[in-house]
Amino acid sequence: MTALMTERPDEAAGDRMSLPTATPAEVRAELWDRVRRRPGLPLAALALVVTGVVAGLAIPRALGRVVDLVASGGHQVSAVTTPVVVVAVACLAQAVLSGFGDALVARGGEEMLADLRETALSRAMATPLDRLERSGTGDLVSRVSADVSVLADAVREMVPQLADAVLQIALTFVALLLLDWRFAVASLLVVPLQWYAVRWLLRHSRPVRRAERVAQGTQAQTILESVDGVHTVRAFRLTPRRLALTGDRSREVRDLALLSTRIGTRFFGKLNGAEWTGLSALLVVGYLLTRHGGVGIGTASAAALYFARLFDPINGLLSSFDDVQSAGAAAARVVGLARMPGAGDVHDGDADDGAAGEARPEALPMTPSEPAVSLRGVTHAYVTGHQVLGPVDLDIVAGERVAVVGTSGAGKSTLAKVVAGVHRPTGGTVRLGGVPQDELPARRLRRTVALVNQETHVFAGSLGDDLRLARPDATDAELLDALATVDARAWAEELPEGLGTRVGQGGLRLSPVRAQQLALARLVLADPPVAVLDEATAEAGSAGSRALEAAAEGALRGRTALVVAHRLTQAVRADRVLVMERGRIVEQGSHEELVAAGGRYAALWEAWSGARG
Amino acid sequence: MTAGTAEAEQEPVGIPERLRDPGSEPGGGVGPGPEPTERGVLRWAYARQRRWIVGAAVFTAIHQMCEAAVPVMIGAVVDHAVRRGGPADLALWIGLLAALFLVLTVAMRLGGRCNRHGSQGAAHDLRMVAVARVLDPRGFADPTADSGALLSTATADTLRIGLGNRSWVLGAGAVAALAFGAVALLLTSVPLGLLVLVGLVPLLWATKLLAKPLSARGAAEQAQVARATGTAADLMRGLRVLKGLGAEPAGLRRYRRASRAALAATVRAARWDAGYEGVTLLLNGLFLAVVTLVGARFAVEGTISVGEFVASVGLAQFLVGPSSRFGGAMSLRARARGSAKRLAALLAAPYAVTGGERALTPPVAGELTLDGLSHGPLKDVCLRVPAGTTLGIAATEPAEATALLDVLALRIPPESGRVELDGVPLAELRLDDARTALVVADHDGDLFDATVEENVASVAGAAPPGRVAAALAAADADQVIEALPHGTDSTIGERGRSLSGGQRQRVALARALAADPPVLVLHEPTTAVDAATEAKVADGLRTMREGRTTVLVTTSPILLRTCDRVVLLHDGEVRAEGTHSELTRDDSSYRTAVMA
Repeated sequence: MTALMTERPDEAAGDRMSLPTATPAEVRAELWDRVRRRPGLPLAALALVVTGVVAGLAIPRALGRVVDLVASGGHQVSAVTTPVVVVAVACLAQAVLSGFGDALVARGGEEMLADLRETALSRAMATPLDRLERSGTGDLVSRVSADVSVLADAVREMVPQLADAVLQIALTFVALLLLDWRFAVASLLVVPLQWYAVRWLLRHSRPVRRAERVAQGTQAQTILESVDGVHTVRAFRLTPRRLALTGDRSREVRDLALLSTRIGTRFFGKLNGAEWTGLSALLVVGYLLTRHGGVGIGTASAAALYFARLFDPINGLLSSFDDVQSAGAAAARVVGLARMPGAGDVHDGDADDGAAGEARPEALPMTPSEPAVSLRGVTHAYVTGHQVLGPVDLDIVAGERVAVVGTSGAGKSTLAKVVAGVHRPTGGTVRLGGVPQDELPARRLRRTVALVNQETHVFAGSLGDDLRLARPDATDAELLDALATVDARAWAEELPEGLGTRVGQGGLRLSPVRAQQLALARLVLADPPVAVLDEATAEAGSAGSRALEAAAEGALRGRTALVVAHRLTQAVRADRVLVMERGRIVEQGSHEELVAAGGRYAALWEAWSGARG
Repeated sequence: MTAGTAEAEQEPVGIPERLRDPGSEPGGGVGPGPEPTERGVLRWAYARQRRWIVGAAVFTAIHQMCEAAVPVMIGAVVDHAVRRGGPADLALWIGLLAALFLVLTVAMRLGGRCNRHGSQGAAHDLRMVAVARVLDPRGFADPTADSGALLSTATADTLRIGLGNRSWVLGAGAVAALAFGAVALLLTSVPLGLLVLVGLVPLLWATKLLAKPLSARGAAEQAQVARATGTAADLMRGLRVLKGLGAEPAGLRRYRRASRAALAATVRAARWDAGYEGVTLLLNGLFLAVVTLVGARFAVEGTISVGEFVASVGLAQFLVGPSSRFGGAMSLRARARGSAKRLAALLAAPYAVTGGERALTPPVAGELTLDGLSHGPLKDVCLRVPAGTTLGIAATEPAEATALLDVLALRIPPESGRVELDGVPLAELRLDDARTALVVADHDGDLFDATVEENVASVAGAAPPGRVAAALAAADADQVIEALPHGTDSTIGERGRSLSGGQRQRVALARALAADPPVLVLHEPTTAVDAATEAKVADGLRTMREGRTTVLVTTSPILLRTCDRVVLLHDGEVRAEGTHSELTRDDSSYRTAVMA
């Protein structure tokens, strides 16, 4: 299956909270729900396919008649014309009916799949941010891409093939029954043999296939890591080492593929045994019936030939059991996602979105009488009993810019996330514009306070599309204004196609500084009254950091802001500086006040600027 | 390995010894690579696996002939045993049928395995060749190569070329089956045999004609589906960004658009598919009807026996399969050709640098000289870093720093001027020697999925014990390890993703220090760490590099303060030179650059 090639491995197993996987019963229930919701199409498809089968049944029957006519002798040549015409007409009917039937089946299946994948993505998007922060996005990415691809392949290729095989088998079996029921009974002799073969296959191939998928994922990851880190590989002369590692991974993929072929061919060997057994049984029965059962030689030979015709579809059907299982596993993961309890589900306007667009909720009004952000006795613990924040009391008035400084692990980011509503405080209350945070619906909360974090993801698509994620109805002029606010308009307009330039994966690669400027431009477009910036300048390099500080300056103008200051220059510009240590605010005041006070901040400032004067 | 796979390993029916892996695993490489042309790649992929492919073709041909013999054999059993024979005849013929199945199944198993060897072995070799080119120390002259495209060439394209090897096997099997069927039919009845063989031609032609627009539509549909999948993965990767802004509904709408476009494309393609299946069904059915009509006429007339008639109808149906497999072989070939073209383009891509012939004779003192270096924004830069000293370079424009680093890292030859190491032009040194003596570490140095210590130790070679630990401590990366859930045993995920930006940077710095080269160039090694840690790291750096040449390309005052000498790069030129405190005191543009 080609999907394997695009599969990205789950990023590092680690201690992750895993997403739910649906049980087979849940998968069936989900599919049944979807069929029941719109039963017209599946019913029509079923009717066409069944009629096609019935038409097809006439073909072997007519062929048997020809054989009998020929075998009984003494007929005119013209006697066989009628059954041959029947064959031709039945073929035409079967072709037309099954053609339309297949098309309808495909449409039904694809529509269901599209609905399912959209629901799954909508649920994935509703994953709470704090959970994402802890578990990463690897599993989500692989579910909405790799697993959905496996399902798509299944719907597109496997389902029609299986339907076809089942149809042919049913058809031929009925034909045998029509010839003489005893042939049909004899042919059933193969069933236990095939059942055994399939059991054997599933037992042996399952672990190998799983290992194969893991190996392919690891191989792709190893290669991608090398490709992405090629500068490092060359700088440290790691090429031989990386090649050796790639070689090991690649050989593993190859060897597992060979192993799975060995299992596959052994399985087919067993099926060959079943074929011979069944064929011999039919021939023996034919021998006996022609002598003692009043069956014509034509019937006997036709029975043997029909049976031989079953080899291909049966083998195809049985050997695809494995694929059915992979598809089943993928379905369990996708359905698991789709049925996830939708905590704060993304509104997915089922009907006709797009035209009317999304009604953005209003941000909370900020009144001068209430602090824009107010924390009272706020504590937070990621693990119960292991408190990393607080208790913290903090008021930020509307329009104030507050910078948080401290060493790593001092609780700066946790404070930022609590203020942004990413983490619910373990104790105490957070109020925004006087309203307790947990009384706000998720979307209203996000409309009021936005968070720009360390992630510098550039979305694949045009530059304009990327920005419009923050405000879908923005005009080009508004986009350019937002870019100008963060000093990015000049370079954006110099791009080959301006706002239409493709960026992100598969497009132009933006430098970390530009990527971060885009993130800030999105913030400008989203236009929340309160903004939280966490380590937004971390990876840009010093000179880049300065450019970004200027950009942040523009983006935060007119907003209440909490900035996790990475460079002390960010603190210098803030209205107020909070110094954190071990989860608590240990100093606060303006830069000048704190430097004058000669405390921890002053020491930090000394380390930073000591050599400057 | 599970019990199941272990059992499969003990497979009694083995591959003949002479067919065992013809040594495709010499060390890490695969010997001389292919000529970088489409044909060269295909030929190389074939030649290295010839024994497997020939074996597979032979066994597959035998298997296919046996398959073709089944209906003939049924006809014979009907004629000789069922119709006019005793129990002994029946037993004999069923025994013969068993012998046929035995040969058939053994040939199938051997053919299948040789076939997989031929394709997977080639895919593996090509994968290694592709990755070796990507990671080649000489680099790419065109730096815009997209990593996604490279990944797909290294994995998907190499596999497709490998699968192209199967086209020979598929073709051989089809020819064998057709030849066997034709002979059997012609022996039964010349006119009937001719009818079947001649009839197959228009049948296949019509099928192929129908299949053509189909494959174009299939490709378009695949592209739409891939786009939707790509959008989904992209949105998930950026989900934290979306959620930070509350932009999920907009993201979801974007995905839904892509998903609906994919749906429309698939439904269209499926309609064509169904039409194709229908028409194929019809054509095959009509072909069968004609053969039956003519065959029955001969049988009624007594020209052929009932058994022969039955066999002929069976053969006519069977032969449709192998004939259409020719089409399959051709499309495998076509896909392999497209992939071979892409791989050849990768292999033929020009190198950025080639390196010289001179070997570097130890000990390397570590004196670095830049002589009239012009590259990009850099204009005629001259600098001398005496052995064993630390030089700070503060650039007012990031582009100047990047240009300097690209040249020093030998990513690209400078437009003019040169870099010398102990008086020897860097460009004349063997690449490996040059990079042993002079290491350039980027500020966003990439980590790999292993433990922190493995990442750091990977560059340390046969370093004295304790150097890795010392490097970890100097970069404050030992703190990183302590914070990990399983301490030293924790792996850090793909590209070190389970670490924060600051942690990654410290580990990358520790790695650069552990490499302990005579000359180490560090680019902004502390941008993602807080000021207090930065001061600590600056001290550690100083201690670790005692007596070694170090160049710090940075605007961090904390780092610049520790340098013996600092130069200011402004407008592509060396503007000022001195110690950090001198420059801070005397030079306003320096103050702006580092104080901001």
